[in-house]
Amino acid sequence: MKLKQGSFLWYLYLDKLYCLLSVRNVKALVEYFHLLDVHRKKTLNDVLFYHFLHHVTDLKRNQITIVFNMLDWNAVGEIGFDQFYMLVCILLAQENHLEEQFIFRHSRPVFELLDLDGELKIGPDNLHMYNFLFNIKKQQLRDIYYNFDITGDRLLNYKEFKLFTMFSMDKYQESQKAEKRRRERKLYSKTDCHD
Amino acid sequence: MEGKPFKASAKSSSHHGSGRSSLQDIRNMWTTATLSQPKLNVQLPTVREDTELEDVNLSGKTRWSYDQKSGQDAEGGEDKDRFKPEEPEELELGHDSSQGSRLEEDDSKTDNEKTSSVSSLNISRHTPHRAYWVEQQSRLPLPLTELMENEVLEILTEALRSYQSEIGRDHSLTKQLKRYIEGLKRRRNRRLQVLAI
Repeated sequence: MKLKQGSFLWYLYLDKLYCLLSVRNVKALVEYFHLLDVHRKKTLNDVLFYHFLHHVTDLKRNQITIVFNMLDWNAVGEIGFDQFYMLVCILLAQENHLEEQFIFRHSRPVFELLDLDGELKIGPDNLHMYNFLFNIKKQQLRDIYYNFDITGDRLLNYKEFKLFTMFSMDKYQESQKAEKRRRERKLYSKTDCHD
Repeated sequence: MEGKPFKASAKSSSHHGSGRSSLQDIRNMWTTATLSQPKLNVQLPTVREDTELEDVNLSGKTRWSYDQKSGQDAEGGEDKDRFKPEEPEELELGHDSSQGSRLEEDDSKTDNEKTSSVSSLNISRHTPHRAYWVEQQSRLPLPLTELMENEVLEILTEALRSYQSEIGRDHSLTKQLKRYIEGLKRRRNRRLQVLAI
């Protein structure tokens, strides 16, 4: 998923630590939502929601429908600002490669979003369905159910999911450190060559 | 799209003084608005000249409404346009009564006295501008508002086609959406006309 360059959302950014929008960004987002709220119901219906996402991202129709159904947690056929804000944070997390951090920081709301049936457990199908949003690779999916399905029921409850988020966060931080070390080594080797 | 935000930014916030046309600028403006506030005070004379011209030419007098009503925040998405037609009437009275006597004094004085009177006029005008800039900290920057409105217009125009094909042109929701789009376009055109002048 990519945000359209130059679109309004493209100019917003998440706080890198807490993966949330600043107050100023939220204020701007409120104004934007208000502009989209054509029928003055403080909600977006499915048509408006589709055209919004279609305009600002490269998501396909079926993916937009999946996102809408995921966010319409009250099943009223409309999306309010709370759900809109959540969506924007998810989109920005993906755009800025902060998926692991986002899922770690907001594991509970993400778990509740993935738990479509309300069974307090998520299966591999759930995670796979939202792969385009949270960027969980196939190998990672296999690892999740191999390493974290402690109860052995082929489903993740919240605690198991939380363990997974902590693990992937640790892995992410290690990869960042390794990347930093690699860059520093390159830099030193370049300066040595010049000497 | 890159040209319009920077036209607005050049006029409305000349303190940025940026002729750059990179997309980064809007983000920088947005995040450094408070940091740049001291600079705004230094460059106020330049801004004042622009606003004076606009005040003389048009309903730019409405800008004084935001100076005088500095504590009030405009409602939702409806009052982004500074040059609201309803406001000039009540403001012109206030504006004229406070400025008219000062202008009469300027006419009767010599050059030196005129200079000092002009500077006192500038000082008296300084206060409204401070309130204006203070309020700007709680309002969205104009380039951002413009960007949002343009984007929303594009989205809603496509949505209107879906409404018309799926629920018909005569449906109340379709008509409501059409009216809303027209209202947005009118507001945008008004703002563009003002900026062009």
